[in-house]
Amino acid sequence: MNEAAPRPDPAKLIASVDSVRAALQTERYICSSQIATAVYLAWHLGKPILVEGPPGVGKTELAKTTARMLDLPLIRLQCYEGLDEAKALYEWKYGKQLLYIQVLKEQLGEILQGAVGLKASVSRLHEFGDIFFSEEFLEPRPLLRALREEGGSVLLIDEVDKADQEFESLLLEMLSDFQVSIPEIGTIKAGAHKPLVFLTSNNTREISDALKRRCLHLYIPFPEAKLEQEIIRARVPDIPEELRRQLVAFVQELRELDLKKVPAISETIDWARTLMLLHSEALEADLIKDTLNVILKFQDDIETVEAELYSITGRALKRG
Amino acid sequence: MERTLANFIRALRMADVRVSTSETLDAFRTAEITGWRDRTALKEALALTLPKTADEKDAYDACFEQFFRFDDFRSEAAEADSQQDESEQESSPQSGDGEPGAEGQAQGDGGGGQSSGSDVEELEELIQPGEMSEARSELGQMLMGGDASQLSLAIANAARETKLEEIKVFTQKGLFTRRIMEAMGLAELQQELEELGASNTLPEQRLNAELRRRRDGLREQIRDYVERQFLLHADARGDRLREEMLRKVKLSNVEVRNFRHLRMLVQKMAKQLATAHSRRRKVTKRGQLNVPKMLRRNMRHGGEMVELAWKSTKIDRPKVYAICDVSGSMTTYARFMLMLLYSLEEVLPNVRAFAFSSDLGEVTDLFRREDIDDAIAMTLKDFGGGSTDYGQAFEDFERLAGRDLDHRSTLIILGDARNNYGQAQTELLRGFRDRSKRVIWLNPEPEMAWGSGDSEMRRYQAHVHQANVCNSLVHLERVVSGLLRAVS
Ligand SMILES: Nc1ncnc2c1ncn2[C@@H]1O[C@H](COP(=O)(O)OP(=O)(O)OP(=O)(O)O)[C@@H](O)[C@H]1O
Ligand SMILES: [Mg+2]
Repeated sequence: MNEAAPRPDPAKLIASVDSVRAALQTERYICSSQIATAVYLAWHLGKPILVEGPPGVGKTELAKTTARMLDLPLIRLQCYEGLDEAKALYEWKYGKQLLYIQVLKEQLGEILQGAVGLKASVSRLHEFGDIFFSEEFLEPRPLLRALREEGGSVLLIDEVDKADQEFESLLLEMLSDFQVSIPEIGTIKAGAHKPLVFLTSNNTREISDALKRRCLHLYIPFPEAKLEQEIIRARVPDIPEELRRQLVAFVQELRELDLKKVPAISETIDWARTLMLLHSEALEADLIKDTLNVILKFQDDIETVEAELYSITGRALKRG
Repeated sequence: MERTLANFIRALRMADVRVSTSETLDAFRTAEITGWRDRTALKEALALTLPKTADEKDAYDACFEQFFRFDDFRSEAAEADSQQDESEQESSPQSGDGEPGAEGQAQGDGGGGQSSGSDVEELEELIQPGEMSEARSELGQMLMGGDASQLSLAIANAARETKLEEIKVFTQKGLFTRRIMEAMGLAELQQELEELGASNTLPEQRLNAELRRRRDGLREQIRDYVERQFLLHADARGDRLREEMLRKVKLSNVEVRNFRHLRMLVQKMAKQLATAHSRRRKVTKRGQLNVPKMLRRNMRHGGEMVELAWKSTKIDRPKVYAICDVSGSMTTYARFMLMLLYSLEEVLPNVRAFAFSSDLGEVTDLFRREDIDDAIAMTLKDFGGGSTDYGQAFEDFERLAGRDLDHRSTLIILGDARNNYGQAQTELLRGFRDRSKRVIWLNPEPEMAWGSGDSEMRRYQAHVHQANVCNSLVHLERVVSGLLRAVS
C-alpha cells in the first residue's frame, strides 16, 4: 500500500471546466466541453445530473470516471422494474432480528424476574422492542449508503427509466434535500460532503418533470468524428493513425444509415481492438465484411450494410 | 445582467421551453458561477439548467443565438413584440409614429373610444406638422425621447415599486396599470398637458397632441406588461381563475405553455355557441306548418288532419370566408380564430380559410384535415415569413375566391392592417364588400393605434361593414356569436 499517495484535491481538479476536462482525460475519458461543464456545475451547484443519450455513448462511464478522478467511492444503484425502497434505501435485517428474539426468549425468565403483574412485564419488554429497530439492525442500501459516506461519494443511479414511476418520488425526496426519513429512527442527512449524483436514462420512458426540474440535464449525443478519434486514441493507444481515422469515419457513416441499432462508442473501441489483433494497417472492404459483426448486432443490419458496402466504404475513405 | 437573464427566460418560455421558478434560480446561480464574459461557456452552462428535453434544447439553442447576439438591450427590443423591424422609428410599436396630420381617432362600432377622443382628433386635424416645443415633465421628456429600452426599464422599476408581483386577481389589472403610471410621474405629466392645452402657440399644441398620443401608447404598453407579469405568476393558481383570465387576456400575451388551456377553452366556447345556436334554429323551425302540403297529404284520410307536414326551411347555407394575416405576432390570433371557426362546423359548415403574409393561399382543407398545430405550422411555412402585403393578399383572394362571393357570404379579415407602406388596394376591399352580405375586420391592435405608422386600418375601415378590436377569446366569442346570429 502506498500510503503517501496524495489524494487529489477536488477543489483544484474542479476549479474550471477545462481542468475537469483535463482530469477526465487523464482517466481516459475523453469528452466535449459540454460534458465537462455538466460535471463542473453539478459539483458547484450541488445538483444531480440526469444524463440522457443513446446506448453506449458513455453515460455510465462518465459517473465511474468522475468517481475515479475525485478518488471518491462509487456507489451504484442499478434500476429495474419493481425496484423498491427495500432494495434502494434500506431494509431491516430480519435474520439478525430473529436471532435476537431467540436469545431474548431464552432469557425471558431472567428479564422478567421481579416484575409483578402483566403491566410491569409488558413495559419491561417494551424497552427491548426499540432495539430491534435501531441502526444496529439496519441494512443500508445504495441511497442510504451514499448519504452516510462521510467523505462524500459518487452515486450512480443507472438506467432510472427502467424503474417504475413511483420510484421517482422516493428519489425526489432524497435528491432535493439529501436526506431520507426512516420512521423508526428519524431523519438521516448527508454530512458535510454530499454525494455527487448521476442519473442515467436511455429514454425508454419520459422521466417526470418534477425529477427533471431538480437535475441538471445533460444530453450526450454520438461524438463527432474528431472526438471519437480521440477516444479511440485513449482507449486503443497502439492503433495506427491511418486506420483509426478510417474506422471512425466508417462508423460515422453507419450512424447515418437507417439501422436497427447503430454502433456506439463501445463498438468502435471493440472494432479497433479487433482490427489491431488482425494486424490491419488500413481499412478495406473484405476486412470490413469479416468483422462487421463486431460493430453490428443485428443480422438485418449486417445485410443492409453488406449490400452497400462498397459505396459506404468509399464515402468513409473520402471522409477519413 | 439579472434582468437580461430574466428576459431570456421569458423568451424561452415563449419558445415552449418550460422553466420553473426553481430552475430560474438555478440559472441565476449558474450564471454567477460561469460569469458573463465567455459566451460559449455561458451557453453550455445554461443549456444544462434550463432546457430538459431534446426539443427544448433545440429551442434553447435558437433562442440563445438570437438573444445574446448583441448587447443586453436587444433583449428589451425582442420583448416588445414589435412588428416593424424595418423602421428607424425610435419608439415602441404602441406609440405609433405617423404624421400628426394623418392621425384619426376612434370611431365606428368597436367599443372603447374615449370621450375626449374627438377633442384630440380635432386638435390634430388643425395642426400641421412643424416645430414642436420641448416637454418639461420628466415622464414627458422620456416619452418624447422615444428610447424604448429606457422606457421598458422605467416600467419595470415602477412595477417593482408598486409591488406588481402581489397582483391577485385579473380585475386588478387596471388598478395596477394606473399605479404604475402614477409611479412613473403621471401627475406631473397631466399637469403639463393641462398647461399645454391652455396655451395657444402652435408648437405647444403640437407637443400637447403628441404627448397625449404617447401617453396613451404608454398606458397600453403597461397594460400588456401587467398582463404578462400576471400570467407569469399564474401557474400556481387555480384553474377557474386561469380560465377566467385566459378568456380576457390579450392572446399574444399568452405563453405557449398555456395554449393547451386555451385550446380547451375554445372547444368549450364552440360547444356553447353551437348548442345555443342549434336550439334557436330548431325553435324557429317547429312553428311553421306547411299547410298546402298537409292538405295534399291528408286527402286520403278524407280531409282529416292526421299527418302533419312541417315547412322545411330551405337552408340558405351561409358561407364564411376568413382571411388571416399570419405574419409575426398575428399567428396567435389566426390560430385561435381558425380553431374556433373550425370547431363550429356543426353550425358553420361552409368556412373557407385563407392565410397570407406576403402571398395568400387557401388553407381550408389543411385546417379540416390536420391537427391544428400542424396546420398552423404548415401555413406558416407556406405563407409566413415575407413582409406583409395586404394589397397582394387582396389580389390573390380576388383571383382565388372573388367569383364565389355573393349575398350570402360573410368575409372576416383578421389582421393588424400594417402594410409596410405598400399598396393598400382599398378598391378591391370595396369590391368584396359590395358583393357580400357582410365584411368584418378584426384588428388586435387597440383603436388608438389604428392608422398610426404603416397601419392602413383607418382607410380599410371605411370599406367594411364592421371593424372591431379583437385580441382576446372574449372578443372572439362576441364576434362569432354575432356572426352566428346574423347567418342563421
Ligand atoms: N467519452 C469516452 N471516452 C472514453 N471511452 C468512452 C467514452 N464514452 C464511452 N466510452 C466507452 O464506451 C463504453 C460504453 O459506455 P457506457 O457503458 O458508459 O455507455 P452508456 O451510455 O452508459 O450506455 P447504456 O445506455 O447502454 O448504458 C465504455 O465502457 C467506454 O469504454
Ligand atoms: Mg449505461
